[in-house]
Amino acid sequence: MGRAPLVIIATAAGLVGVLSFHAGAPNSILATTRPTASSRKQPQSGSAASASSSGATSSILLITRSAVGAKEQYGYGVLAVRVTVRGSRIESITLAGLQTAEQYSQQLAAQVIPMLRSEVLSTQSAQINGISGASYTSQAYALSVQSALDRLHVA
Amino acid sequence: MSAGVSQGRMIGHAERVMGTVVSFAMYPGELGDAAVRSALAQACRVLHEADETFSTWKPQSAMSRLRRGEAAVDELPTEVATVLDLCERAKETSGGWFDPWAMPGGVDPTGLVKGWAAERALAELVEAGVAAAMVNAGGDLAVYDRPAADEPWRIGIRHPWRVDALACIIEAHAAVATSGAYERGEHLIDPGSGRPLTRAAAATVTGPSLAIADALATALVVAGAREIGLVTSLAGYDAYVIGRDGSELASDGIRFAPA
Repeated sequence: MGRAPLVIIATAAGLVGVLSFHAGAPNSILATTRPTASSRKQPQSGSAASASSSGATSSILLITRSAVGAKEQYGYGVLAVRVTVRGSRIESITLAGLQTAEQYSQQLAAQVIPMLRSEVLSTQSAQINGISGASYTSQAYALSVQSALDRLHVA
Repeated sequence: MSAGVSQGRMIGHAERVMGTVVSFAMYPGELGDAAVRSALAQACRVLHEADETFSTWKPQSAMSRLRRGEAAVDELPTEVATVLDLCERAKETSGGWFDPWAMPGGVDPTGLVKGWAAERALAELVEAGVAAAMVNAGGDLAVYDRPAADEPWRIGIRHPWRVDALACIIEAHAAVATSGAYERGEHLIDPGSGRPLTRAAAATVTGPSLAIADALATALVVAGAREIGLVTSLAGYDAYVIGRDGSELASDGIRFAPA
């Protein structure tokens, strides 16, 4: 990219000053819990239900932590996300940093990011599981989410 | 520290390879953490090996050596012959609209290799025994089984003009490949002229093989919606085409899902 970034947006999570560029390939795992067909018919009695069989690790599921993922280049700039997990379950993903090369892509990113978030959270909100058709933004988003989870040592 | 893997839990991973990002979604079922990690590592190895063998950007790849005439097919890894056979089949199946031999710079299987590699990566997970999984290679994806008994994989189709917006959501049961005029596509070549040309804005093909679906999606973007019969005449394959005028055409087997 030859163009200089013009805009930096900070959203709900705020622009975090400790962003660092990603050094290596992501090598870890993110984990969320999807209710199974049978469990969904039952009343929800708590988010730790799926871990009831692993008593030794149940306490860790109650801890809520968050981390900012690596800044990732995409077609129109750079983005980074903040991921909050409760145990190994993703609670939220917010945009921690976004640098776009032009006004147009800033507007575009405003539409795009909520959709990508729904993809990552889809196992909890039953939206979509994936996107078909090449997309630079979605790839950068996936990488930043992954690196945030790596930093949280999820899975 | 991690929680034990239990039924219904989804494990995701994003791997940077083949000039794109390949993302995984896995439902481990009865598999333990170690088995899942091992299967995922093996799936990623398959992708990196495919990249090393077939990249036309890497001067020392088998494909680059073949293109330069430095080696014959039978002197190269057997995967090269396998992929070229698939290319031949895809060329025939697409009525010549997908033609790796019509590419500038020599034979180029790029339009099919990503799907082929993703399919092999998925096979590693299936062999290891995952309950359900999806491998998404930069927008070309293969799925196995389903996230829940009453719930198929729901795949958003990228909108051709509104970058990263969705045109629709479809249900996926095996492979879904989408190609669009928005790609910086050296591989979107009109075989008739040898020059870049697209007659549709985007084309999605679903079917049993991602390698073939990938090639057919490329073929339909070049050929346009009027050639949709190329796809629908194949057992198990369906197509959804968005025209340059915004018109949409879908064959009977495309299952649109509510947004």
